Amino acid sequence: MSEQDRAGQRAVPEQLERALAAEVSLRSRLRHVAVGLAGGCGAAVIAVLWATEPHPLPTRTRAAFATMIAIGLAWAAFAGWVLSRRRPLFARDRVLAARIALAATAVTAPAGVALAAARGSTADLVATAAGGAVLTAAATLTLVRARRRRRELLRLRDALRQDAP
Amino acid sequence: MAGEELLVVRCQLGEREAFRELVATWHPPLWRYVRGMVGSPHLADDLAQEAWVAVVRGLPRLRQPERFAPWLFTIARRTVADLLRQTYRAPETAMEEARTVLAEDELGGVLTTMQIEAGLAALPPLEREVLILFHLEDLPLASCAEVLGVPAGTVKSRLHRARRMLRNHLAEKGYEA
Repeated sequence: MSEQDRAGQRAVPEQLERALAAEVSLRSRLRHVAVGLAGGCGAAVIAVLWATEPHPLPTRTRAAFATMIAIGLAWAAFAGWVLSRRRPLFARDRVLAARIALAATAVTAPAGVALAAARGSTADLVATAAGGAVLTAAATLTLVRARRRRRELLRLRDALRQDAP
Repeated sequence: MAGEELLVVRCQLGEREAFRELVATWHPPLWRYVRGMVGSPHLADDLAQEAWVAVVRGLPRLRQPERFAPWLFTIARRTVADLLRQTYRAPETAMEEARTVLAEDELGGVLTTMQIEAGLAALPPLEREVLILFHLEDLPLASCAEVLGVPAGTVKSRLHRARRMLRNHLAEKGYEA
């Protein structure tokens, strides 16, 4: 067996440690959660603004609104892809991310409803309130499931700690 | 066993300090498996790192933490298989690399003190990996079957064939089998 073989079996290479530290980074995960929520919520608010506009908008303004909505949704989709494939959330991260998502929807939904109430028709108001309620409910459900999963793992961890010598 | 499962559960929870322990515990056996399959320590380093990245990315979805070892080796096996597929797809560059690996191997064979490991390099990949998993990694038969994706009976017959080939090879080299 060569020296390289012995070294390989003995220790974890520094390069691997660095790569894995980046892979498990909580900061990177939270950054993507924030980017995704900002993109999604921003797109939702712009959509409410556009829908509740009292007068027909010029073509350029409509194109600008559509572009901003597309950019927001693209960021949300990108963050979703990263968080599902590249930087999946661990149980504790998921609880933290779900709390942030709930806070974001709890701010965005009333803001959208207030905009619709001030600028739009009753139909706009009802549609915005329904959309806000669905998003907030989805965030709440995500939080409940994340907490349940964390609780299961905590219980398992404690049981295993008792079994371990 | 409970200690290993505990480590996996702590990682799934997101305890960052547990990852370091997990890697320190499992990197040597993972590296040894990959090294046995590819024949070059440098390539083994790269593939082991690739496998670890896949492990970290897949860990939140692992539903049975007690099945970590076979899951880990399944990922390592897939990583090695991907490399072999690329090797066959791009014959020119890959053959160059394979020749280099072979040259290193021959040199390594002169220096090696472990007869079994030296013999392993001469076996075909299927026989080599079953010997590594069963004898060097000490995985039970059922776990080997899970990693290799074949029934336990096939693992037994493959093991039988691999032992016979290794014995013949060592006998040819003049070792007492």
